[in-house]
Amino acid sequence: MNPAPVLEVRRLVKRYRGSDVPAVDGLDFTVREGEIFGLLGPNGAGKTTAISIICTVLRPTAGSVSICSVDISKNPSEARKLFGLAPQEIALYTTLTARENLRYFGRLYGLSGRNLSERTEACLALAGLEGSGDKRVDTFSGGMKRRANLAAAILHAPRLLLLDEPTVGIDAQSRNMILENLSALRKAGTTIVYTTHYMEEAEQICDRVAVMDRGRIVAEGAPADLIGEAEDCDNLEQLFLRLTGKQLRD
Amino acid sequence: MMRTIIATILKELLELRRDRAGLMVLLVMPMALVLILSLVQDSVMQATGEAPIKVLLADNDNGFLGQAIRDRLREAGGLELVTSINGSAVTEETARKAVARGDFQFGVVIPKGSGEALRRRMRTLATASLSTGKNAQAAPLEPSSVPGLAVHFDPAVQGAFRTAVINALRQVLLGIEMTERAAAFSETLPAELKKIVGESIPTWPGMSGAITVPDIRFDMDTTPVLKLTETVALGGRYLKRPTAAQHNVPAWTLFGMFFIVVPLSGSLIRERQSGTYRKLMAMPVSQTGLLAGKIVAYVIVCIAQFALMLAVGVWLLPLLGTSGLVPGREFLVVAPIALAAALAAAGYGIMVGTLSRSYEQASMFGAVSVVIAAALGGIMVPVYVMPRIMQRISTLSPLAWGLNGFQDVFVRGGSLGSAGADIFRLLAFFAVTVIISRIAIRGADNG
Repeated sequence: MNPAPVLEVRRLVKRYRGSDVPAVDGLDFTVREGEIFGLLGPNGAGKTTAISIICTVLRPTAGSVSICSVDISKNPSEARKLFGLAPQEIALYTTLTARENLRYFGRLYGLSGRNLSERTEACLALAGLEGSGDKRVDTFSGGMKRRANLAAAILHAPRLLLLDEPTVGIDAQSRNMILENLSALRKAGTTIVYTTHYMEEAEQICDRVAVMDRGRIVAEGAPADLIGEAEDCDNLEQLFLRLTGKQLRD
Repeated sequence: MMRTIIATILKELLELRRDRAGLMVLLVMPMALVLILSLVQDSVMQATGEAPIKVLLADNDNGFLGQAIRDRLREAGGLELVTSINGSAVTEETARKAVARGDFQFGVVIPKGSGEALRRRMRTLATASLSTGKNAQAAPLEPSSVPGLAVHFDPAVQGAFRTAVINALRQVLLGIEMTERAAAFSETLPAELKKIVGESIPTWPGMSGAITVPDIRFDMDTTPVLKLTETVALGGRYLKRPTAAQHNVPAWTLFGMFFIVVPLSGSLIRERQSGTYRKLMAMPVSQTGLLAGKIVAYVIVCIAQFALMLAVGVWLLPLLGTSGLVPGREFLVVAPIALAAALAAAGYGIMVGTLSRSYEQASMFGAVSVVIAAALGGIMVPVYVMPRIMQRISTLSPLAWGLNGFQDVFVRGGSLGSAGADIFRLLAFFAVTVIISRIAIRGADNG
């Protein structure tokens, strides 16, 4: 029996004001409980727009998104309790310490008292920041900031974790730690959707991936299956370039 | 919602505490402005009416004229005459040099012999003014040879100030001239009349003796008949003389309050640029709660600013030897005015932060717009001295509404009722800015 769907995206379209070409054009996929789902694509493929709609920040032009059967358009407040978001940018207050940031976001998620303190410390530990919790974020290295960004997204133990390029621009050690954390979260039952440019990374941890180009999904499946089905492709990167082309996307 | 508001207030205050430059702008800048401008303007206000202006007097006549000028000026109270510098009597040369150096703004020189010349001239005029048939065709009077008083003034002295001093001196001289004229008439008129009457009475043969013309006295009272009474337009209520502090403390406090536009709009823009705004919008919190938290945090800062500036005005300024702020009878009325002004300032900061695309744009536009609103609102120059068109434009400035409300209490002894219209305007401004911000945010979110 298949695990229950956590995220259902149906015929999603987003057309920005003043643009002729839709940024997302008929996106359709399902992510099931405990899966790590990779959303891959070149720059401008529509990954961030898709994540922005799923996390209720952008309104879709057409289509629907449900998180744990909650329609995000009809009941956005309820849907927001179910997921955590680590945006592409470091979404933290840089003049505050990591602990102060987590406590602020924790309070907004409704945590308080002992529960807030315990979750803050647990997330700092998971991100390897237990010794740096009282340091201001603007004194952190790039890797520490990314790990703190992830910690702020999992404070309320969400059922769905949305990560927009969580490993961009950081060292190998921090990347490795984040990937290990994602695997640990998956084992604990968290469903993860994440976008990345790193094919090797996606191949390593994703159960399934969807390759997007020009707002559409051009391939979807388990990385190994997709590589196996394509001729003369030894890895996901070769498959990606074959699907999306080698021309530059600025 | 309450949870979001409280969490956001704590976070904003924590961020502000860490932002030393922002705190400097919010607390130290208005305090420095209040202190410096109150100290500077207090001396200007004193120089333009609050205290006597010191004027050097070189009395080369050493007669009744110098004494009369001194007496009359002392009585009028507008000017204080200085007749010696470092123990030496003021001469025309020392007066001219002291004024040229800017040590004094005015120097008055009474020429030698001017008092006696004035009296002679007055007697001549009195005699000449009585004409009978015989001397009606008398030759015209010779021009006056009375040497005039010289006034040296510092070229840096502003026109209105100079005119006020010259007018005060002219008035004194006119008074002296009137007295001397009356005295000349008193002296000349009886003898002349006696002579004329005596010459006009015919004598008859057989008269036992000459007809005696009785003594004639002429005493003219020179006390002013038309008097000028100054009354402050307060309808007989609480009267207090306005000081520099009463203008500067509320004025520059309002300026400082509205300057929260820079850190507040900056905070919104940083959230947008750093991705925290996107994250907050994806959280189960109301946008109204987040905005309310920001507004309340900055209103708290504004109220703290206001309390600090009041303390500076009431306690610190007198310690520095200048007039302090004297709170009015309805002092507690300033609390709702300050709250309304703080809300208006916070609303404006939210609007600028929402509509601006970058931090540079927000800080530049925010700061410049507050300076313009302050200039229009009478913070720098009182509205009543502005040209009529500017006075009309001034009514559009929220800083003018705030200042008018504060002046109502501090100077005009107003009540909550009299400041009600200004409080309403400030609250309406707050409502409009928040509505505009919400519309702009919604438009941006819809992509």
